[in-house]
Parts: sequence; C-alpha cells; structure tokens
Amino acid sequence: MNNVAIVGTGQTHHARRRTDVSTAGLVREAVVRALDDAQLTFDDIDSVVVASGPVLFAAVNQPEKWLVDVCGARMKPVVRVTSGGGTGLAGALAGMNQIAGGFAERVLVVAYDKLSEGALQYSISSLYDPFWGREFAVGIMGFAAAYWRARMDTLGHTEEAAAMVAVKNHANALRNPYAHVKKPVTVEDVLASKPLAWPIKLLDVPPISDGACAVVLASEPAARSITDRPAWIRGMAYYCEADNGPDRSMIQSEPLAIAAQRVYQKAGITNPLRQVDVVEVQEPYTCFELSYYEGLGLCRPGGAAELIASGATSMDGDIPVNPSGGCMGANPIGATALIRLAEAARQVTGKAGDYQVAGAETALVQAGGGWANLRGVAVVGADKN
Amino acid sequence: MTATALPRVAIVSSAQTELRAAWPGLQHVDLISAAVTKALAGSGLRIEDVDFVIDSGSDVLDGRSISNCGFLGALGAHHKEESRVEEDGLWAALYGVTKIASGSADVGLIVAYSKPSESDLAAFYWTQAEPFYARPVGLDHRAAAGFHAQAYLNADGPAPEAFATVVARNWARAAANPSVDVEGASAPSGDGVPMSRPVDGAVAVVIATEQVARRVTPDPVWITGMGTAMDQHTFARRERGSLPACRAAARMAYRRAGVHDPTRVSLVETGADSAVGELMVLEALGLADTGRAVELYNGGTHIAVNPSGGSLPADPVMATGLVRLGEASLQLAGRVPHGPDGASTAIVHGAGGIGMQNHCVFTLEVDR
Repeated sequence: MNNVAIVGTGQTHHARRRTDVSTAGLVREAVVRALDDAQLTFDDIDSVVVASGPVLFAAVNQPEKWLVDVCGARMKPVVRVTSGGGTGLAGALAGMNQIAGGFAERVLVVAYDKLSEGALQYSISSLYDPFWGREFAVGIMGFAAAYWRARMDTLGHTEEAAAMVAVKNHANALRNPYAHVKKPVTVEDVLASKPLAWPIKLLDVPPISDGACAVVLASEPAARSITDRPAWIRGMAYYCEADNGPDRSMIQSEPLAIAAQRVYQKAGITNPLRQVDVVEVQEPYTCFELSYYEGLGLCRPGGAAELIASGATSMDGDIPVNPSGGCMGANPIGATALIRLAEAARQVTGKAGDYQVAGAETALVQAGGGWANLRGVAVVGADKN
Repeated sequence: MTATALPRVAIVSSAQTELRAAWPGLQHVDLISAAVTKALAGSGLRIEDVDFVIDSGSDVLDGRSISNCGFLGALGAHHKEESRVEEDGLWAALYGVTKIASGSADVGLIVAYSKPSESDLAAFYWTQAEPFYARPVGLDHRAAAGFHAQAYLNADGPAPEAFATVVARNWARAAANPSVDVEGASAPSGDGVPMSRPVDGAVAVVIATEQVARRVTPDPVWITGMGTAMDQHTFARRERGSLPACRAAARMAYRRAGVHDPTRVSLVETGADSAVGELMVLEALGLADTGRAVELYNGGTHIAVNPSGGSLPADPVMATGLVRLGEASLQLAGRVPHGPDGASTAIVHGAGGIGMQNHCVFTLEVDR
C-alpha cells in the first residue's frame, strides 16, 4: 500500500459550551489551525472528509452540506463518514484510502461535535433496537456499567483501579492548552463522587464538550514537499462486531483484538509494550481504558489493574497513555478519535509541547464507538514502514 | 490532484430488493439481508470472502442514531471492517473502490437501503438546510426544484411539457423493470415540478480486484473513472437551471477514465430528485447541450437514458445512486432484459442535498 502521512493537525479550544461560534465556526477554527500547521491553503486540498457523531447530536441532517464552505471545499469531493464515537478515526481511514487508492494527494479530515446543542443521552439511547433495546438501555452508561461489573467479578478489578485512570488523565490534561477540564482529582475524590450507574461514578465519566479537530493527510511525495517531519500512518483499521450486548463477551473486545492484530501486523509490531513509546486511547469511561490496555496487548488479559497501579502508563512511566489527558480533558465525541490521532502525530513529530514524551517515535491510537462494538486502532511513526 | 488511472476494480455482482412504495411487513434488516444474500448467491464469493462492508443510510430516515450499528449482522459485517457513509450510496461505492485500489483489500460489499415509508421525508430534507437563515424560510428539495425549473425553462429551455415527457418515458420503463413496482402508483401530474417518488428497498454491490473478478465472473464490469464535487450550501447563491457541481464531478471521472467524448457512451443511469434535475444532470454530464436534454427522450440519440426507469419512478433516498450503479452493471453484463443490446460503456450518477448540492459520477465498461 502507498504510504500516507499526517502533515498538519489542528484543534479548537474545547469547552462545555462554545456559544461564541456556530457549528460552522467551530469547524472553521480547527480547519484553519490544521492548514496553518501544514502551511497549506485551501487550494492545496483535493478532497474533504467530514466525520461527526449522529445527526441527532446537533439536529442538522447531513451537516457536511452546510460545512462545505467553511472547509473551503466548494466544487471538491466532500463526503461524510459517521461511525459512532470513533467516527474521527473512521473518517481518517476513509481519507487514507482516498490517498492510498490514488483518488487524492492531500485530504483534509475534519471531525467535530457541538454537544451543547443537542440532547446527548436521548440521542445515544435511540441507537438501541426500537422494539427490544430501548426500554432497557439509558444512553450508553447502563451498558458500560454492566461491562465494568463483569470485569470486576471475573478479573477481580476494583473501583480504585478505574479511579486511577481518572486521576492520571485529569493530571495530564492540566498541561494541555486545548483541554476544557483542568482539575486534578484524587482516587478518594473519584470513589466519593456521585454514583451514576454503579460502578460508574461522576468522576469516572469524561466531560461533554463542544470541539473540533482537523488533520491534513498526504501521499508520500506530497508529504515530502510539505514537511521534513511527517507522521507516517503505519497501520490503521476499524472493525466491528454485530452481536448485541447480551451475546458478547463482556471481558474482552473482539473487534479491538482483531483491529490491533491487523495493524500490528502491518506495522511490524510484535511487542507493543516495548515497541510503542506513547499511547492515546478514547476512554468514554475509566474502566474502558483498562480493558483497552489488554485489548491492545500492553499487558496480559486481566492485567490492566496491575499495569495502571504500577505507574507504567503515567506521564513518567514506560508507556504513557493519554499524555494529552484523553477524553477526561475534552470530549467532543465525534472529534475525540481524530484528536487522539492528532495527538499521536504531534508526539512522534516532537510537537506535543508541555506533554511531549521525550524521544517518542512510535505512537499507538485506539478509538471506538457504537455500543462498544466499533473499534479502531492506528500506529503512527516518525519513520515509515 | 493526480490524474493517474485507478488500478482496475470491478463490479462482480449486484442485487436489489424490489423497490416499492412500502414494505410494511419487512424491517430494515430484512431488506438489507435480502439484497446482500442475493448479491452473493451465485457470485462465486461467500460472505467469508468479503474483506469489508461500506454502507449508506440515514439516521434521520431510520429514526435511530448510528443506525448501522443495528444492521451489522444483516450487512454481513460481523468481525469485518465497516464504515457508514452518510451520503447517497454511490459515495459508499467510491470509498470501497479506493479501499481496493489502495491494495489493502480484495473484496468489498457496498450496501445502501431506504425505508422512507416509515419516516418523514420532508423533515429529512428540510433539516439539511442551514438552521439560521435557510431553514426558517422553508427551503426544501421541492422549493429548490421549483427554482431550478423556473430558471431552466426561462433560459432558452424547452417548453414546460418537457418535464412530462421525461416522467412518461421513465415511468413506462419502470413498469417494464421487474425490480420496480409501480402497480397502483400514478406518475406526478399537474402544474408543479414532477418530483421523484420515494420507495423502500435495499441494494448490494460486490466489488473486487481484477484478479478476483477474473476468477469469479466471465463478465466483470470495470470501474474506469470516479468523480465527485459538492456545490456551496447557500441555494440563493448557486447557479439555478444548471448543475456546475455535476459538471465538475463528471470532468473528474472522465479525466480518470480517459473519456474525451461522453456522448459515445452506451447508457446512462441518473439519480435526480426531479424531472428538471434529470434534464440538468444529462446536460452537466455532457450528453446534451444546455436546454436540449429532452431531445434524448425523443429518439435523437443512440444513448440509452435510464433503461431501468431511473430515479423518478423509484427513489430509495440514500440508496438511489447505488441502485443506478447496480442497474448499469447488470445491463452491461447482459443480465437484465431491459438493458440496451451490445452496450459496452455506462455513465452512472448519484446526487444528494437540497437542490442536488452534491454529485458523484462513475464511468463503467465491459470487455467486448
């Protein structure tokens, strides 16, 4: 496959409510920053991929048709990819294929959500089967609580282990200029916070944010002419499972394992713990970050509680996870996965500022959505495959 | 942008459910699995051979967020790569073709479906309008078609009867197409611009690398070019009576395919939402001069225009362009009775948005 690189990234200053801009203004902010980062203009862009969460989140149907002008994409290819919470990575994958498949040289991928403008939990609840699912499920939280409880019962994981994820990510977010929540928390704070759907408590949950992210992808020749430090996409995949929640393993995510295996094979990674320098994961609840450690092979199945307790995934550990603060810092859902990819690109190109992991050359990205049945993985490197 | 030809990707099979006003006894998953099963049956490929699924549908029409999540089993996507393209199904095909052309996959399943009978189609359109200035004045696809029609007729266009000619021809063709049910339905008449008739249905198209295609089918249909372009959002600032974004999409597809004279094509299938839209599309595709497309319906051409009946008698909104792609491929492969004899090339068109803001064009050919 032809090599594809990330040559520019940009994100908005995220907030609970960005009342100063419309959705179009929000998207524009990220797009302009990504183009500035790549030192490109709209004329250099061949094609635009718009990724955002479900339409109900902001009640504009097919919003890319409204956003075409702020993306500078008039009379160009514009397509919207939407795939639940991980849609930002699904959008990047579509853009990557446009380049690798010879359809475009430089693709702008933009992802956003303006969650202050919709009824979030109502919108999410409507994803369940109208006949069999909606009476049981409230948002995604009930499902996530059952998932965590199963892991506690089977693996002996504790609420404290998940709380450590919140502590770590909140601490990291303090150094991220774009994060909208900058508030240190302790394990005790998390454990004492209000139960929402036990064992999920308020501080196990990321904020709800308005925000956007944009990434410029380029073919190898284009990337070489744009920058001397591209972030090469060494592998990217987005897999799903069809089964409803009750039919699935609550302990490990099968599509995550498949996606990781596929991407590692492509990138030549046999021992992620040793070969990866930094990880960015999309953690909609603290407990999910723990299960991702296992799904990504950073520890043995069931070993995630030990891994977080060891400090290995902290900023000064062997394999920092979410130096940006992850979703705990900002969670504009549709943009969140693309933010993880952008953060990974910044790490391997030395642009991560106050939360730079020293000498990072290989970064791992995880994203996901749906009812925890859509899972994406990417590896980004300072060197290509 | 690169003008290099795409590596050869072929359509090896396609199938659809019957398109009808409503399928009240079947759910979305039933329609989807019927199309997928039929597309794979006899194709020489099993679901295990499919590397990925790209699907097209609308959360708004389905009344369900991330509606693809609920349909993954029916789509045959379990444990595969899957993505939802929330545009007309022809864009899902475009994604799939790039994925195979990139060398990362061999076989892809492209699926689109629609069940407007259970939804509020007017809301589907008006919620696409920019919420602050356009939506309050009631702009929707009908109003936009009306503005287009006025401009089209006023600018040296044909007599208003042209729209009736387009409708009559397409509805007659649809009546002869076993995949379309027009029984009991009547073609639009009266003073308004004739709009397309929304229908329920699903379509599945299997695409593959040249190597796989040669192995499984004697008559692969080659995708030789693809192009797409979106016009600006504000309808008041767009050209009316013509479709520059469709022209741009066609230019891109023709450049890739090396098409210098599109009028030499054997057949064209268009995905317009109104009679005036269909005429404007044919002109934007370079098949007729401005204001003259109605002549294509009056016997003045060798080009077979919408042999399937096209999108006006049967518009499974969001699936319409992919139905056109499936139809054109079946006609080129000689697998449906309504295809023109000896056809070797086709142009396929899909559209989306109020006033057809977005356009996608494919060029196809078969070995003859």
